[in-house]
Amino acid sequence: MPEEIVNTQAQNPKEDEPRIGVYVCNCGGNIGDVVKCEHVARTLERLPNVVVSRDNMFMCSDPGQKMIADDIKEKGVNRVVIGACSIFLHEQTFRRTLERAGLNPYLYYHIGLREQVSWVHHGTPKEATEKSIRMMAAGIAKARNMKPLEPVRLPAHRQALVIGGGVAGLRSALDLARRGLKVTLVEKSHYLGGHMAQWERVFPTNEEARPLLKRLIDQVLAEPNITIHTGAEVIGAKGYVGNYNVTIRQTPRGVRETFPNEQEAIDVCPIKRRKRFDFGLSTSKAIYRTYTGCVPESLVIDWETCTKCGECVKVAPEGMINLDEEAQEFTVDVGAVVLATGFQPYEPFYGEMGWKEFPEVITLPQLHRLLDDEGPTQGKFWWNGHPVKNVAIIHCVGSRQVEGVHRAQPDGNVNNYCSRVCCTASLSMASLIRQKAPDAKIYEVFEDIRAYGRGHEDYYTRASKNNVTFLRYFAEEIPEVRRADEKAEHPLLVKVRDHLTWGEEIEIPVDLVVLSVGMMPNPVQDLMEIFKVTPGSDRFLLEVHPKLRPVETAVNGVVLAGTAQGPMNIQESCAAASAAASKVSALIEQAKVELEPYVARVDPDKCQGSGECVKVCPQEEAIELKTFSENGNTFQRAVVTPANCNGCGVCVSACPNRAIDVQGWRLDEYEAMVSAIAADIPAWEGAA
Amino acid sequence: MTTETPQKGKILLLATLSGGYRGADMVGQGHMDYPPNTYILPVMSSAIFPPKFYIDAFEKGFDAITVMYSGTDSPYKGESEKTAEIINETYEKMKELNLDLRRLRLAAICTVCVRPFLEEVQRAESLLEEIGPLPRPLAKQGVAANVN
Repeated sequence: MPEEIVNTQAQNPKEDEPRIGVYVCNCGGNIGDVVKCEHVARTLERLPNVVVSRDNMFMCSDPGQKMIADDIKEKGVNRVVIGACSIFLHEQTFRRTLERAGLNPYLYYHIGLREQVSWVHHGTPKEATEKSIRMMAAGIAKARNMKPLEPVRLPAHRQALVIGGGVAGLRSALDLARRGLKVTLVEKSHYLGGHMAQWERVFPTNEEARPLLKRLIDQVLAEPNITIHTGAEVIGAKGYVGNYNVTIRQTPRGVRETFPNEQEAIDVCPIKRRKRFDFGLSTSKAIYRTYTGCVPESLVIDWETCTKCGECVKVAPEGMINLDEEAQEFTVDVGAVVLATGFQPYEPFYGEMGWKEFPEVITLPQLHRLLDDEGPTQGKFWWNGHPVKNVAIIHCVGSRQVEGVHRAQPDGNVNNYCSRVCCTASLSMASLIRQKAPDAKIYEVFEDIRAYGRGHEDYYTRASKNNVTFLRYFAEEIPEVRRADEKAEHPLLVKVRDHLTWGEEIEIPVDLVVLSVGMMPNPVQDLMEIFKVTPGSDRFLLEVHPKLRPVETAVNGVVLAGTAQGPMNIQESCAAASAAASKVSALIEQAKVELEPYVARVDPDKCQGSGECVKVCPQEEAIELKTFSENGNTFQRAVVTPANCNGCGVCVSACPNRAIDVQGWRLDEYEAMVSAIAADIPAWEGAA
Repeated sequence: MTTETPQKGKILLLATLSGGYRGADMVGQGHMDYPPNTYILPVMSSAIFPPKFYIDAFEKGFDAITVMYSGTDSPYKGESEKTAEIINETYEKMKELNLDLRRLRLAAICTVCVRPFLEEVQRAESLLEEIGPLPRPLAKQGVAANVN
């Protein structure tokens, strides 16, 4: 560790004079391999007000933080400038360090030397070091002008909105309710449980999915703090963390409750539709029940296909079915929002490994329905009226796609991510097939087996022992599915170059091909716009940081749960959902939230009451002119209501007297930073 | 420390924390190189800077400035319109000082706009290669100071 550096010029200053501590992080070589951190620290030590200037291998480590805290306590450092990784990673870490040392946490400024210097100037270390000095000097210039700030504290609704009634949404809602918060749960479809209700069994416990789901739903239904709206979606929101006013539109169910002759009402319906719950493998009427035991249990009308002929109304008890019911809109006031909007299975394009080209090609979700005792074949492993004797399950369809090899999605991107759950899901299905069809030949055609979770590898071992044949393909040569000769015993052939047999080309005759499709995010563009959350490059909703803030979005009070964020299995979805609930409850449990203090502040000595700030302010009731009297004089001054100000700064540039600024981001601070970057600083003589 | 490529000049990037600044971080996370004469300052909102700030920055030593705001995706209502208005006002001041208007640019850069970020940096670099750094002082003493 470098020797302690003390700026003699800054010794014994006045108490209110800035005493700046400068800390340059090597980031374990991420910065230090390009930027000469010691040189930066030594050069900056000569700047006015710098009391101590150090470099360290990891400023974010406990010893690194302790170094800062000790300097605050022992050397009277009262402003801190840190050059390290991204501000978005460790701003909170260092703020807490200051707090622990008794210093106002806002007397700290952060320079992103890693993402914005060392990682983008690999080939020019000298220039990168010079740039680091200038950027750090700018931070020091800002620090000289920084003032202590206090967070804006606001009352918050002790109520949360959970969007999505799948397993993640249910888990979040339950956890929140059990912490004493009111919860509004909004589910777009007309039943709870999401995709989990469609699965026959779940790994790694091999439990039947629906009884397991029912246990969770029963707990949610028994919780008085939870209000559930199915057939409902969020269409708008106003406000901010702690105080969201959310508008919800609820599509009518059309059927009031269960009634004795429901089957008669279904039978008289003349409309047949593909049943989405069975992924199109079966049909239902336009009045239907999603599945036996679903919640809510009553029948529902599919308004897309219903012609309102009224036949069902005629046979149902009076008033039970209402085909003229209209959608209703209502609002709820909530303090925070959980986005548990889930996933959709990847939809292969026409002809992708025979999809839609050959009826004997189905997807893994469809296989779930096929093997389900309540599915279209009552659980028999049959297809087209015949038992399936040979089946090939092809992995990584719609996942780990390679640009130039796979067809891009409509947005131009390929799904280059691993969907994570499909390997074990496919292996568990192979075990289920073995149970239902002991003599069937099962082929798992895989790229890699990623059975990563506890107990997942057992499925691979079990499948291997159960005579499942594994064939391995490489991404650049994906398997081909084609029609066999008419007289062939099995209708399809799967051609694969098998790298377990050193590249031998093998053709497998099969009755059924199952495409193990990956996960894609549900289309929630509307919610992204409403809540200003952003997607990642994989189109799933993006967290602030995958490790440090894994369920929070960049928007205060909006958190993520489950597969809205990326491929997860049910176990992981529930863990993420509980994490989301914890974040929300920590935020609003006390019926108040703390916001960053970055709001407008008027200098009453400079304000002349011109009212320009009031004219340009886009926020409602954020700033107003108030009349004051002093020594017999009456005058007007601008007054900010911090809770309604979001710090947009429009007023700053409008004020003719520079009497208003955004706290923490003041114009004079920027002017000082610009001057500092432009100024030349004598280099440390010890430079190599 | 004054060896920095004086012939190329300095580029100031004012990048919003909800947009361009995160975009710059994404570029870094992708380890994509760009020239080191670029200086990025994070801003809450691009609407706080009056025309004088830009003129002063040119005077102090910056040769090109790009405001990387969030455009219509700004979380702040009115930010994009006000920023555009200010930039237009600044162009008028720049004309008075005979400054090439291309030295100041407003660009919408989002949190994941890696390629657009790099394109903006390259555009500024190419501009400076073409027209060079600014001669200083910008004009006779006091002109810049009179800009509001």
